[in-house]
Amino acid sequence: MSRRAKLLWIALLVVFAGGLFYLRSLVRRTFFELPLHSEESAKARLSAAVLQSGAGPNEIALLYFPSLNDRKLVGESRPVKWAPSANDRVRQVLLALAEGPRQGLGHPLAASTNVRAVFLTLEGTAYVDLSNDLLSSINPGIESESLAVYSMVDSITANIPSVKRVKILIQGQEVETLEGHADLTEAIVPDPTLIKTGP
Amino acid sequence: MTVLLGLALFFWPSRILRSDNFVFYFPNSRHVIPLEVIENTKYLPLLQVLNLVGKLNGLQEKRNTLKVGFGNIQIELHVGDRKIRIAKEAISLSAPVRVSNGKWMVPTDFLTSAVPLLTSQVVEYQAGTNRIFLGDVKPGSFTLRLEPVSNGARLTFQFTDKVTVRTASVNGKWVMFLGDHPIEPLEQSFHFQNPYVTDVYFEDQDGLPKVVITPSAGGLNFYPLLAEGGKILLADVLKPPPPLPQTPPPSGPTPTTATAPAAPAPAPGVTEEGPATQLGPPLPVVALDAGHGGDDTGGHSREGVTEKDLVAQLVAHVRLALLSTGRYRIVLTRIADANATFEQRAEVANVAGAVYFLTFHAGDLGGSSPRIAIYTYQPPSPPLPSPDGEGKSGFIPWSQVQQAYLDQSRQLAQSLEQQFAQIAGVTTDMPGTAPVRTLRSVNTPAVAIEIGSLSPDNDVGPLTDPAFQQLFSAAVAKVLAAMQGGGA
Repeated sequence: MSRRAKLLWIALLVVFAGGLFYLRSLVRRTFFELPLHSEESAKARLSAAVLQSGAGPNEIALLYFPSLNDRKLVGESRPVKWAPSANDRVRQVLLALAEGPRQGLGHPLAASTNVRAVFLTLEGTAYVDLSNDLLSSINPGIESESLAVYSMVDSITANIPSVKRVKILIQGQEVETLEGHADLTEAIVPDPTLIKTGP
Repeated sequence: MTVLLGLALFFWPSRILRSDNFVFYFPNSRHVIPLEVIENTKYLPLLQVLNLVGKLNGLQEKRNTLKVGFGNIQIELHVGDRKIRIAKEAISLSAPVRVSNGKWMVPTDFLTSAVPLLTSQVVEYQAGTNRIFLGDVKPGSFTLRLEPVSNGARLTFQFTDKVTVRTASVNGKWVMFLGDHPIEPLEQSFHFQNPYVTDVYFEDQDGLPKVVITPSAGGLNFYPLLAEGGKILLADVLKPPPPLPQTPPPSGPTPTTATAPAAPAPAPGVTEEGPATQLGPPLPVVALDAGHGGDDTGGHSREGVTEKDLVAQLVAHVRLALLSTGRYRIVLTRIADANATFEQRAEVANVAGAVYFLTFHAGDLGGSSPRIAIYTYQPPSPPLPSPDGEGKSGFIPWSQVQQAYLDQSRQLAQSLEQQFAQIAGVTTDMPGTAPVRTLRSVNTPAVAIEIGSLSPDNDVGPLTDPAFQQLFSAAVAKVLAAMQGGGA
């Protein structure tokens, strides 16, 4: 075999090997890794749109963020233009919590959390379906999980009086806990005793 | 066909085949860390190993390279490379360094090739085993023989050091816990062609040396007996005696020293143990629940210590503290690295008739460390009134069982908090309430104890400190003794 033919074979082999590795990564992406659903991104866009859609006058929303040092929830106020429907108001509260606190408090929801759906029953139970991104902001633990859960429940019920209790779903599914501690199997009523009152 | 098979293997993602534990024995303590088997090689989490062997000074992670300051030595590793550098000296490991679930993993021969360079302590490690002895630790050992006896078989264990024995029945097998002294068996397992016993194996994956005996058939009785001051253990596996007339086992122990035949376990992953020789009324049962387990690791520290391992250590200490009083039997809701469901954990305590249920967790509590927070159960919502009058029958819904014990649970929590507050350097908070899932269906006074802070931002050292864990365990034992009306 001539020297030129040898070089040609080596070049072909390199191209073939490269192709094989590309194919391998393609197969893994297609079959073994979770795809980014277009439904998810559509819902994310919808969440952002809802937050800006309020047409009413400027009002004040009260949000409760966890303070681990105090073992309490600490209130922060935000100007808000409430959406007309209670469903969208629940969504506004959750997205505002996901934006995070302004006083160095804890994050109950990761900024990337997507509010997938909100549903209200006539009895005053709000079903909120969150993406599992929310878990990334919470260090597992009884205290941290409980405060994160009540941050959502107390904030929603404080701002939308028609909501009496909140049932949290993750990725459309009922879950027993967030990370092995706080009970999510039932709808949760607010706990006003967790709210820090003094300085 | 071969080509297709090759391509299938090529495209299939490499994954962990199984997980076990690895035990580090020190003169006065032991630590369990998770071990991963990746492509048939056993791997250990590097930072956890180094934390046990000595003190980390700093970390520098850049893409595929990790530099660790350990004392005045620098260790350098690269992902996928068998060679590591310790104080600039190159050492070759049997398999490449890996990163698994964000943790830097080294093959177990790191213990023989690198650890002796990092510590002045004596290192004793037998390749292939899942335990290492560091410092002045002299593990015991044992031999085993099986011989036929009338109506059954007798296992004779000859130990080099004295042992104590507590028995339990788990998933149709008998487990004999061999006390606190480390054991390095000559053989890990024994297999028999016998109508009474199939196999016997030694296991200490949770840091508790024990032998597990598998009977050949169901319905057999088990009679363990210690002899010669604890150096010989006779374990008879016998057919049950005929109902009438009642006769003692032909070659079993004398009635004053016999233990009752071990009962079947009430649920998977349960141990029930108490003094091997028990006379008089049965002792009260305390249920200890180590949170998480298996794939559910819970939280983790900056160094990679997981909540499930930390609380398993803590439960082992509390168990020993309670057993040493001789006043309780203990049920553990999980052994080794199993992940029992919430319902199974409650079921174990309820079936055993536990007088107290303690669940242990570690998490982010903010502030200084160690910090201890105690919680009683808070129902997520008050029960809705039932339109058809359900509840008038006298049955309590399984999900509301704990609500009948809230006052007693609060009293237990307050006593624990007061006792923990007396431990020097420990911060405690007034007992709180939280919707702790594990407590919901427990039919006895129950509390959740969370130690902190275990989080990626905190040093876990104060929580893994054996002195802290022993003081913590002694405090629990003291409180339970006082609650039982006897004082410490």
